[in-house]
Amino acid sequence: MAHVSVPMYWRTIPQRYKMIGQKCKKCGAVNFPPKGVCKYCQTSSEFEEVQLSGRGKVHTFVLISAGGAPPEFAEQEKAGGQYPVAIVQLEEGPKMIGQIADVDPKEVKIDMPVKAELRKIYTEEEVIRYGFKFVPG
Amino acid sequence: MKKVAIVGAGQSRYGDFPDKGIKELFFEAYKDMNASVDKGLDPKVIESAYIGNLGSGGFQLGNMSALVTEYCGLTHINTMRIENACASGGYALVAAVMDVMSGTHKAVLAGGVEKMTDVSGIKQKYWLGVSGDTEYERLAGTTFSGLYALIAQRHMYEFGTKREHLSMVAVKNHKNGAQNPKAQFQREITLEQAIKGPIVASPLNLFDCCSTTDGASAVLVCDAEMAKQFTDTPVYVTGFGTASDFLAIHDRANTTTLEGTRRAGAMAYKMSGLTPKDIQLAEVHDCFTIAELLAYEDLGFCEKGNAGPFIEEGHTQIGGDKPVNASGGLKSKGHPIGSTGTGMAYEMFNQLRGTVQKPTRQVKGAEIGLIHNVGGSGGTVAVTVMRR
Ligand SMILES: [Zn+2]
Repeated sequence: MAHVSVPMYWRTIPQRYKMIGQKCKKCGAVNFPPKGVCKYCQTSSEFEEVQLSGRGKVHTFVLISAGGAPPEFAEQEKAGGQYPVAIVQLEEGPKMIGQIADVDPKEVKIDMPVKAELRKIYTEEEVIRYGFKFVPG
Repeated sequence: MKKVAIVGAGQSRYGDFPDKGIKELFFEAYKDMNASVDKGLDPKVIESAYIGNLGSGGFQLGNMSALVTEYCGLTHINTMRIENACASGGYALVAAVMDVMSGTHKAVLAGGVEKMTDVSGIKQKYWLGVSGDTEYERLAGTTFSGLYALIAQRHMYEFGTKREHLSMVAVKNHKNGAQNPKAQFQREITLEQAIKGPIVASPLNLFDCCSTTDGASAVLVCDAEMAKQFTDTPVYVTGFGTASDFLAIHDRANTTTLEGTRRAGAMAYKMSGLTPKDIQLAEVHDCFTIAELLAYEDLGFCEKGNAGPFIEEGHTQIGGDKPVNASGGLKSKGHPIGSTGTGMAYEMFNQLRGTVQKPTRQVKGAEIGLIHNVGGSGGTVAVTVMRR
């Protein structure tokens, strides 16, 4: 099952709650989410932690309808109709996938400015999972 | 290194078969393969087998390749399951080719099988859509339709690709699949139907997405020096390529190129001493309509960004200068995950020998063909080029 257990989730809290990225000490590029070896220069595994601003713009997006939603998100789809998911070009360089909240799905456009906020993502094993969603701004 | 030939190929019907499990499905393909060997096949010559499979219907994750081969009477041979998501079958074929090239074994079976309809709809979604970077992509609320929709949206933005272009892939492949007696959906659809399908993950609708399918396929790969003992018309493997990529689309520098396809294709062309122009027909991985358009570009059939006009101009229809997915593709023929790659090889074997079941689907006079099999949203890709 595409099931992200509580321990799996817990291990990624620095990314999910605070958007902590890795600045490569060799090439200076920012990796997010983290890699073992820098995905840009593919030679260095020396990083310093950087706090991402969460700001960026929509690189591409999809509006998920019934049939496109994973079962753990079916309830959300049922409650609100289609929901937007975007790949966001973050201002520090990396791109990241996330839902866009607080927006009429019809208003989502490529290049629209967004910022990340800590939100409730979904509930599994009776544990609420928090993480970031993007909102206009 | 040894030269490699394909001397037999079989496929089960693709569809929804409540009365067949993975063993029965695979046996159906195996028998069909045996029957296709012109001069007859003594199964004792088969020394080795590679079986593509993702989930075994969710019940036989361990040792499944030995299970299906011993059921066919191939007990004690070398056998292994190959798993690279939807590209498992394409990689099983490459594994068999490498086995023969190395001289380790002379006659090798490459096959694949998947049983997808035994699992309930809700479980299917837990079981499928798990071959991307699940920790991030899945947790954002997407399955594969959503991921390919992200690519489609960006392709439309960068290159002006139209909704109609996506639908033209579905219409073409259903037209071809309607003439394939082994296809899951043997019916044509109109462009209007395809455009107005219920939205799944906008911009993709139901007719942009392949279905879930039961099915199996098997091909017999051998040392080219022994090919004539099986048939006077073998098909030769001229080259192959395999390449991987970041699983997550957001990790890739370029959203509208499957770098795995580009690299696997380049390697297969180089090994074959051929260029994209030399390819006379292809079976490409159209799990979603946008995926076929990406394949035209990334395999070099047309310029980057030009796949929309390329399909609109009719190049990839049967009768065009580069027919693609004459079988009906994943879209209409079906996509039993682990079987898809070797199912493409089955189609290509018959196309190049002029032996497809219905002559209306036969690409006349083709000598050189390519098959292209993608795992997930491009995390793994296998390409094989063959000629008669
Ligand atoms: Zn670096």
